[in-house]
Amino acid sequence: MIGNLKIFSLLKTRMQWHQSNQAVIAENIAHANTPDYKARQLSEPDFEAILLRERQNGYGPSTLRRTNDAHLQVSLEQVDIGQAEEVADWEVTPSGNSVVLEEQMMKLAENQLNYQTVTSLYAKSLKLMKIAVGN
Amino acid sequence: MDVMKAIMVAATGLRAQSSRMRVISENIANAHSTGVTPGGDPFQRKISTFRKEFDDELNANVVVAGRILKDQSAFELKYDPSHPAANAEGYIKLSNVNELIEMADMREAQRSYEANLNVITSSRTMISKTIDILKG
Repeated sequence: MIGNLKIFSLLKTRMQWHQSNQAVIAENIAHANTPDYKARQLSEPDFEAILLRERQNGYGPSTLRRTNDAHLQVSLEQVDIGQAEEVADWEVTPSGNSVVLEEQMMKLAENQLNYQTVTSLYAKSLKLMKIAVGN
Repeated sequence: MDVMKAIMVAATGLRAQSSRMRVISENIANAHSTGVTPGGDPFQRKISTFRKEFDDELNANVVVAGRILKDQSAFELKYDPSHPAANAEGYIKLSNVNELIEMADMREAQRSYEANLNVITSSRTMISKTIDILKG
């Protein structure tokens, strides 16, 4: 029930994105010395495309369109959270590796911090709900 | 859960770097190992290799330490006729290990190992923050 509220689904998508981003950064760091490895990064969710899609079919981004009233309303768990793409290389070692360890460590710290922000927002929103139900 | 995936990938990084560290320590320990028979070859420097491998179960690119290759560069010669490994002209072959290169390599391996450890620490923090939601 709570998952249907906009704020929670929003925060959930954001949390999923940060988790996937963590996996991409971990891959980059693990391959810091692998020849010919190209650093990758997860693209930011394309909010314009989500908005456009929502406007076109009148449903939220995570629901299926119902063509018949007898159809059950299904909400998709899978949210489009972007693709991991290779970054345009700006520092490549002679072995063809384009991972800059310092840059990845920065991204790692940033990702962790943003994730913490989202989880505390989630906890705060839950607290608001508790106030609403009088507890 | 993708954070667990991050930890698993970082663990493969740790394993690859420690295997590299082992090869480096072998090189440094054997930097002065010579042959024992006349004209015999000394210790030949070893080189560890890394490659990218797609792990189907994890659905991620993990790093694996590949075959350990031998450095093909020539051995240096030193005039030491009394040495048991000396050839007919009185020269012995010295190992092609350069300790400075090994030290630099060791530093790089150590730095990469620490970076992978940081990934694990950061991922663990993320997981504990997720669990903290329950405490509300």
